[in-house]
Amino acid sequence: MIPTLTTERLTLRAPRMDDFDAHAAFRTSDRARPVGGPDTREGAYDHFAGIAGQWVLRGYGRWLVADRATDAPLGIVGLHHPDNWSEPELAWSLYAAGEGRGIAMEAALAARAHAYDTLGWTTLISYIAPTNTRSMALAKRMGCTSDGPHDHPAIGMVHVMRHPAPPSSWQKYSGGVPASDRDGGSAPKTGKTS
Amino acid sequence: MIAIPTLTTDRLTLRAPHIDDFDALAAFYASPRASFVGGPLTAELSWRVLAQEAGHWLLRGFGRWVVEHRASGAPIGIVGLWFPAGFPEHELGWDLFEGHEGQGYATEAAHAARSYAYDMLGWTTLISLVADGNDASTRVARRLGARPDGRFTYERFGDMAVWRHPAPSEVAA
Repeated sequence: MIPTLTTERLTLRAPRMDDFDAHAAFRTSDRARPVGGPDTREGAYDHFAGIAGQWVLRGYGRWLVADRATDAPLGIVGLHHPDNWSEPELAWSLYAAGEGRGIAMEAALAARAHAYDTLGWTTLISYIAPTNTRSMALAKRMGCTSDGPHDHPAIGMVHVMRHPAPPSSWQKYSGGVPASDRDGGSAPKTGKTS
Repeated sequence: MIAIPTLTTDRLTLRAPHIDDFDALAAFYASPRASFVGGPLTAELSWRVLAQEAGHWLLRGFGRWVVEHRASGAPIGIVGLWFPAGFPEHELGWDLFEGHEGQGYATEAAHAARSYAYDMLGWTTLISLVADGNDASTRVARRLGARPDGRFTYERFGDMAVWRHPAPSEVAA
């Protein structure tokens, strides 16, 4: 029921119990500060089980991002949608092992393509804490524009970053770059709104 | 993902957690009845609890069922096999929602869950953790034939009594 997505360097797959140590290391560290942490190991388990369980409850959710070659866990990326949120969010959290190699963007593009192409969604947001400058830079690289501030129930004041709508150039991805931006723009460019 | 099995007893169905169970679960966790299991909780945290219940099945291959009253179809509690990070061993747990206590439902559902653990999963022992002062739960543990077996402290629920269930050979008919 949880689909597996594959990109050039990554596998987006169902979270497993043997990924938990990596997730707990992240959630108990200062790296988790922009996303509601740091937490205890017990709290990290609750968080991890909640990620897995959203797939059962909603049929979509967040994948464990693993190194395609080694299957080592690198982070959590996908479609996060608690009950009291106005719309689903494209969210990314990288473990220390996943840092600094463009992995969040590669995984987030695959997740966004799944939302648009497979689920048929027409829009997506990402919530970014004001202090999380690297995530903000990633949102902008993905073409997001600001929808303004939002008082987030779990992490306080955040920026709502709205992703570009699916049609045309954003519809298909290959290797993480929008088709229209490759090969001198050989793909059709019509219909991209901004 | 694994298929979550459905169990049936005289009066109850034990089935997979579902998004439609959220209101009943949130009402339980907002009530004083949840004080023995980490509550009261906000709706936001109740959502996470429901997702955790479902996610436990994915991560562990077993978990807790939503207990549905067969005659009415109403969700009346959560019962089953629980083993989060930090637990000493597999637990048989039961939470009954408001208005459904005192009719033997927890015992009936827990009995079915214990049989599943012993007969289908091949487990040889089980504990239940009961908070001090939770007299109704203590009575369920006794009715199931469990005996006191020390204490355990869990971050979310505090210090609790450990009840050891009879082994499969002792509950066999």
